[in-house]
Amino acid sequence: MRAIEPRRYVVYVAFLLILAFFAATLSDDGFLSEDNLLNIVRQTTPVTVMAVAVVFVLSAGEIDLSLGSVVALSALVTAEVMKTQSAVLAVAAGLGVGLATGAVNGLFVTLLRLPSFLVTLASLGIVAGLARTITDLRSVAVDDQSFIDIFGSGDVGPIPSLAFWALGAVVLGHFVFRHKRFGAHVVATGDDAGAARATGIRVDRVRFAVLVLSGAAAALAGILYTGRLEAATYTLGEQDLVTVIAAVVIGGTRLFGGEGSVVGALIGSLIMGTLTNGLILWGLSTSEQLIAQGGLLLLAISLTLREPRRELA
Amino acid sequence: MVGALALASASLACGSAKQETDAAAPIRSSKSLGTTHGPNGEPATPTSALTLTPGEVAKVRAGHYTAALVWHESADFTTAVTAGVRDEFDRLGIEVVAETSANFDAAKQKADIETVEAKRPSVMLTLPVDPVVTASAYKAAARRTKIVLLSSVPQGMKQGRDYVDLVTDDLFQMGKRAADALAAAIGDEGTVGYFFHDANHYVTNQRDQAFLKTITGSYPKIRVAVKRGIADPNEAQDEANAVLVKDRDLSGVYVMFAQPPGEGVLAALRANGNTKTKLVTLDLDEPLALDMAKGGNTVALIADKAYELGRAMAVSGAYGLLDKDAPAFVVAPAMTITRSNLVEGYHESLHRDPPASVMKALGK
Amino acid sequence: MSAPLVRIEGLRKEFRAVVAVEDVTLEVSPGEIVALVGDNGAGKSTVVKCIAGVHAPTAGRILLEGRAVEFSSPLDARSQGIEVVFQDLALASAQPVYMNMFLGRELVKGPLRRLDREAMAAETKALLDGLDVLVESPHRAVRDLSGGQRQGVAIARAMYWAQRLVLMDEPTAALGVAETRRVEEQILRMRDGGRAILIVSHSLDQVFRLAHRICVLRRGRQVGIRRTSETTGDEIVAMITGLRDAD
Repeated sequence: MRAIEPRRYVVYVAFLLILAFFAATLSDDGFLSEDNLLNIVRQTTPVTVMAVAVVFVLSAGEIDLSLGSVVALSALVTAEVMKTQSAVLAVAAGLGVGLATGAVNGLFVTLLRLPSFLVTLASLGIVAGLARTITDLRSVAVDDQSFIDIFGSGDVGPIPSLAFWALGAVVLGHFVFRHKRFGAHVVATGDDAGAARATGIRVDRVRFAVLVLSGAAAALAGILYTGRLEAATYTLGEQDLVTVIAAVVIGGTRLFGGEGSVVGALIGSLIMGTLTNGLILWGLSTSEQLIAQGGLLLLAISLTLREPRRELA
Repeated sequence: MVGALALASASLACGSAKQETDAAAPIRSSKSLGTTHGPNGEPATPTSALTLTPGEVAKVRAGHYTAALVWHESADFTTAVTAGVRDEFDRLGIEVVAETSANFDAAKQKADIETVEAKRPSVMLTLPVDPVVTASAYKAAARRTKIVLLSSVPQGMKQGRDYVDLVTDDLFQMGKRAADALAAAIGDEGTVGYFFHDANHYVTNQRDQAFLKTITGSYPKIRVAVKRGIADPNEAQDEANAVLVKDRDLSGVYVMFAQPPGEGVLAALRANGNTKTKLVTLDLDEPLALDMAKGGNTVALIADKAYELGRAMAVSGAYGLLDKDAPAFVVAPAMTITRSNLVEGYHESLHRDPPASVMKALGK
Repeated sequence: MSAPLVRIEGLRKEFRAVVAVEDVTLEVSPGEIVALVGDNGAGKSTVVKCIAGVHAPTAGRILLEGRAVEFSSPLDARSQGIEVVFQDLALASAQPVYMNMFLGRELVKGPLRRLDREAMAAETKALLDGLDVLVESPHRAVRDLSGGQRQGVAIARAMYWAQRLVLMDEPTAALGVAETRRVEEQILRMRDGGRAILIVSHSLDQVFRLAHRICVLRRGRQVGIRRTSETTGDEIVAMITGLRDAD
């Protein structure tokens, strides 16, 4: 009989509580309107996509600080390429930026044995610099309607296309994380890299793979932002790293590796988005929103964070 | 003989007046060599022209309208504008139901617009983060809500159809006043460094060019020795350093705005041990105001009347609700703030007292 | 005693300027337990790691069933039937016991090659029960187990997968008396099952209880090999401390 871990379910309960709370207090303010709820989905999708990948990265005992910069650079590359080429090629180019950054990060971590924190801190700066110079700080508009519909602003009936991207990322991510060998190897690597190596797991390949994955996810997020805003600019994604990590940690993934939850990350992302949304609808001033958000975040993390596993003796 | 004596005493007087220049020279207002116009060439209307009759006020009050404030950031400036907005809305019986700050993030601004629209505000007052990237974000909102824009117009929006009007500071006057202030500080002669915004942004471009036009057109004895374009405002300190290391004897410098480039240039001056070069920039900003209060390099800060901008936006919102024809492009006056009127400057522009550090330095 | 399963000849391992192991020759046959003893820094762990495929020998050779082999990695050694129980156990503590049992060799099912957790859990339960390793459920996380239980799991893993040789580095170093007994019973069972076992141990009592032969290392050099039945604790100690010169 599987032992039930109450902590695993706290994040779901927290989400339902938050939803119920806002539904009750904001019933006249449009919180529960179809538009608003779907907006929350639209607004959280890029973060959700990145959060899925970051579950893998953190679970493997690594971190990717370059996420935000990759979002911006891939968005700009996609938009620029689309000016003269097909949308398909533009998207490929954008994804290529993410894959390349992830691969470079991965190589420095595995071949040169540098900590991913430092490597991705460096690539954060380099990629951000590239994003600024590639169009000289100019923003680039996009007018390919099918691109815009598929990647950000379209709807399939009442459901936003962004919802499909979020759902797809979560379903695929969860399947691989929980039901494929690779997922088991990722968690083992983060749990105890020495143990993993001793049992024959190719720890370096795992690390490389998760960093490439996170680069690709950031690129996809950049492409989705471009579709949603119908333009790209160098500030896209700048603030997202913190949101993504918060979502992942709230969702039950351990910050230092060894345990994770993809579905939890989705819930974490939705919690972040719902909080932002609800606090604005409450009519709080900007400063009040920031304080409330910080306080509620602290509460959420303290409820869902796994206890540290440093045992004595 | 008398003439010679007169000349001698006159030049003596001039000499001592020159020394006073460093302290508090009266700033001459030169003739305006241009006027402010909107991003599409619209002529400027002063904010004072926006008024409502008592009947109109009553009509607005009767409507029990709501408003949302969608800002680009959360700072002294937006706080002051919001104060002007809220005071006027109180008078008009319009309730502010939501307030957001995008922190310069276009994606967040789009999310903010979507979110506040859930409350179906009658009016939206907003400063778009970026005219290109926010263009699509306002589309849906424009259909349902009266939008009043601060500072820039997102691409594709048409006045009358998509937004009521565009409000901003009197751009030409801002630049011109900066030139007048800097000229007075350096005794109407010398060399000047010109740090301008190297980007296609009509607000900063007009202000910068107004400065340049005035300093070259109205002050023949002043030479613009260095022109340096700064694309990324965060890089100002490095750019200034490069200039100041080579040109150690500039009489004065103009910087496109205070934060962060103005602060960066001041930091560069200090790093080079330069206490002589006078600095003039736009907007009130604590580090620069403090420097000015202490008698440092900063001699003048040209500020817009942010509170008045807020009032004008609020009244514009009412125009929209009343379907009253609004002027396309509205500008609020600029003011020159030196050490002598620093306190009044904060009151008039930002509707608040200067920060404690500044008050202390002023000896108050 | 059958023909030797594993034989190391002239094994030498250098780490830059340090010679950790210098010319060790040793054999282990199926159903035999050989103990490797020596003080700290004698090179015991290094010998084990060379055989386990963690380190590549600087010189010398390793023969499996008479054939010379070179291991490119621990995975390689494992695929040739060598299992190791490391001093730190190499268990992923946040994972359940059954995942640890199959770590790196997880069972999959179906066209999508999904992890077959049910099968792995069932196999684990059967194995642990059969070995009398007291773990309430294969779903328990390793970190929730006691030291003895963890050791039991690590050894059970080695037993499950070992085809030929099992290497153990200080298997009961951190355990109490009762748990040590249990683990030693497991080791004897493995021996009865026909595996060859090489065990590193600080405890001479344990060595004399379990091993057929004892190989003594001192500062990287092989001092000598003795049959347990033909030597005494004193002699071994003398060899370890250097009071007795090499053979």
